[in-house]
Amino acid sequence: MTEAAFPILGAAFVLMCVLPLCSLLAKGVLWQLEQGERGGALHELDLRYAVLTSASVLPVVWFLSSGLHQVWSGGSALACLLDHGASEECVETAFFLLALIGLTALLAWPAWREHVAPPTASPDVNRALSDRLESIFTSHPALEDLRGRVRATCAPDFAIGTHGLFRPRVFVGTAFAARISDEMLASALGHESEHVRSLDPLRYVVLRATQAVNPLGRLLLAPHVARWHAAREAHCDREAVIRGSSPLPLAEAILQAARPSVREQVALGARDAVVLTFRVRMLMAFSERQPSRCCDTGPAVGQGVLLILVLAIVLPGQIGSTVLDTLHAGSEHAVHYFVR
Amino acid sequence: MSFRIRPGKRGIELRLHDLEAVIMEVVWSKRLTSFAVSEVLAELEKRREIAYTTVMTTVARLHDKGVLDRVRDGRRYLYSPKLTREQFLESTAWTVLDEAVGGQTAMAMLVDKVSEASAGELDALEQLIRQRREELGS
Repeated sequence: MTEAAFPILGAAFVLMCVLPLCSLLAKGVLWQLEQGERGGALHELDLRYAVLTSASVLPVVWFLSSGLHQVWSGGSALACLLDHGASEECVETAFFLLALIGLTALLAWPAWREHVAPPTASPDVNRALSDRLESIFTSHPALEDLRGRVRATCAPDFAIGTHGLFRPRVFVGTAFAARISDEMLASALGHESEHVRSLDPLRYVVLRATQAVNPLGRLLLAPHVARWHAAREAHCDREAVIRGSSPLPLAEAILQAARPSVREQVALGARDAVVLTFRVRMLMAFSERQPSRCCDTGPAVGQGVLLILVLAIVLPGQIGSTVLDTLHAGSEHAVHYFVR
Repeated sequence: MSFRIRPGKRGIELRLHDLEAVIMEVVWSKRLTSFAVSEVLAELEKRREIAYTTVMTTVARLHDKGVLDRVRDGRRYLYSPKLTREQFLESTAWTVLDEAVGGQTAMAMLVDKVSEASAGELDALEQLIRQRREELGS
């Protein structure tokens, strides 16, 4: 019984207590960031994403790394020595790792499974779209990156969206394509090309997965996630215009994709009335004044996050596994206390 | 920084009153990164007659609005601009946009109330785009 305490209670404690506490901390940081003046609603998108995901990723990485260091080094395991005697083999840390990995994977799995690309249409249908795209690519050199990455789909009610985690592709619904002009399609592809360039499907799935493994933290962070999503879509609109897409046709394509007949959630972003109004107004403003990038801290944020992740992996091996040992001893003492 | 947009004004005057805008133009054009009220006064006096207390009050108001930072230097304050002119205009543009559509307030509403756009709302937005097209065309 005692031996099972740490793997089960420890893993549950990490997911149900440590992660929500980190989420509370992240909420404070996000609240501060969202008050930022420069860039308005699109302020510090990469940093906000890093904070949103780190609240779940960093604690899990820390405990996994701490456990692995202890298992590999046969290290401290102080709680084992105290509670089970030196003669017994201490395997709880290994089981704790398995429990933590298992629970995390179990909770995150639905988020990965949700990301399913629509079926590709027949070659004939694809060829018809390809002919149309060829003329669009010729007249819009900024979309050249998408050459060979656009597929037609006959999936019912699918407008346009980007799928694929490591090699994203843009899927265009045939019915949607038939309803819009070439200029609208080119602008919509401009929006999607920013999703492709930034590997947004991967970002979205990782965000959903980190929320899924942290059910209590998700409640705390839900408003910030919603705001980030909306702002991310608006950011793609702005990038599309900066790279040469026409703002008004893009606004019209967004509205077409949001029409009630289209049920695909990723179609050019959200269907929420407030967000749509914001984006359309923004694009209308861009028709008068060319937008510029503001407050882009992307590369610096990426390097910062990488550094923190490396520290979370390396530090437990350097500073010892006190946190893990405390959790280990605490779990077993809690069982002793309640079971005796 | 807290601002109220001034209808009918353009550029930095969207967010700053006349004398505030004049002072900030002096600060940005002379590239004053750390200055006392007397330095701005000297520049303004080349153009018009103006009292020291008027400039001091206006500079203090710019500090209250968050446009200027200040540190104490003996018996006086040294002021410095928080943003460059370009950054200030960029920020203004987003504030105007936010004002127009509810901006951050609208985004905040997502928390409590997510509502799918109705066909009527989509029609109204399309109508706005058509109007904008006509305005740009004319």
